[in-house]
Amino acid sequence: MMEQSSIDLWKPVKVVKLRVYKYNPKKDFFPEWKEYEIEVSRGTTILDALLRIKEEIDPSLSFRYSCGQALCGSCAMMVNGRQMLVCRTRVLEVAHNRDFIELRPLDNFSVIRDLVGDFTPFFEKHRAVKPWIIRKDVEELENPTGEYRQTIEEYARYYQFTDCLKCGACYSACPTVATDHEYLGPQALAQAYRYMVDSRDDGLDERIAIVDSDHGCWRCHFATSCSDVCPKYVDPGQGIQLLKRLIVRRKFGFRPHKPAEVLPSKIGEVKRR
Amino acid sequence: MRESTKMLLHYITGILMIITGLIHLLANNEPNIGKLITSNVYFYLANMGIFLAALLYHAFNGVRVILIELVPDTCWTKLIGWAILLIGIAAYIVGIQVLLMALGLI
Repeated sequence: MMEQSSIDLWKPVKVVKLRVYKYNPKKDFFPEWKEYEIEVSRGTTILDALLRIKEEIDPSLSFRYSCGQALCGSCAMMVNGRQMLVCRTRVLEVAHNRDFIELRPLDNFSVIRDLVGDFTPFFEKHRAVKPWIIRKDVEELENPTGEYRQTIEEYARYYQFTDCLKCGACYSACPTVATDHEYLGPQALAQAYRYMVDSRDDGLDERIAIVDSDHGCWRCHFATSCSDVCPKYVDPGQGIQLLKRLIVRRKFGFRPHKPAEVLPSKIGEVKRR
Repeated sequence: MRESTKMLLHYITGILMIITGLIHLLANNEPNIGKLITSNVYFYLANMGIFLAALLYHAFNGVRVILIELVPDTCWTKLIGWAILLIGIAAYIVGIQVLLMALGLI
């Protein structure tokens, strides 16, 4: 069999119809669907296709993207009814046995324009759970004399949750968010858990007061659609269940860890470039 | 009361319902065990009282959860909580009265 050259990968192989959601709430009364036909090759991603539509067919089309390599999470949208990062989804991957690909903004977000959703409430909830290290020894934080001691096992407890891109896919897939707009959502709750079990953190009680509320972690019905759609394979559903366990255990006096001690360090000895 | 306490009670009442409901079923359907349980009417009354309390708490808390998810406003959340609590207490008083009448104690 002949080996395929890298140039062949970029040869057009199919004409695909993209059905895109068009809506400008400031101007339009109703949203509408617009169809665009473009030639795609084996390597064309949906983001490539959207960029080509914007350059060649419809400059008014709005969508959000940044890094283009599944690291920033800006380009998450609904592709054929499922939350995906369009920068890493190939057109032929989702166009298989279909006449068209349907693109619309993420569910549970109000639309700013076309495929762009309003992330303000999402980031407000993210900030509400204080996603940073909280310490009682503020002096040490401000003028560090060393590093906080942390074992590999302690790191492994929260490692997977550090992969969160804040793309909003889990928040969009959550059935509770759909009805309860004040619910913190899987992303914020999983992040709360990530910091609560971090051995360097000392803000457990501060965060419990936020997540153990009327619209906090107890509203999760464990549908796990959040974990199902996460493009980075984080499991926010599991995070929320572990968070519930943590809160119940705290009621009986258990703490997940003692705040990590400062390791006398060689910071001063290391020459910084 | 913190939300975690309410939900912890929700889980505990769920387990209580299974245990006390099982005792109730055995009392009515298993003659040998039934005799043992119903021989002491106060034990049977206590069992049914706990069953009723657990059932009402579990059911009304479930309704509360559904309502506060549908009407997320903080003001409504509090109102729903108090309304459900009062309805629950009233239902328990009526239930206990019916139970006492059924056992011939009043």
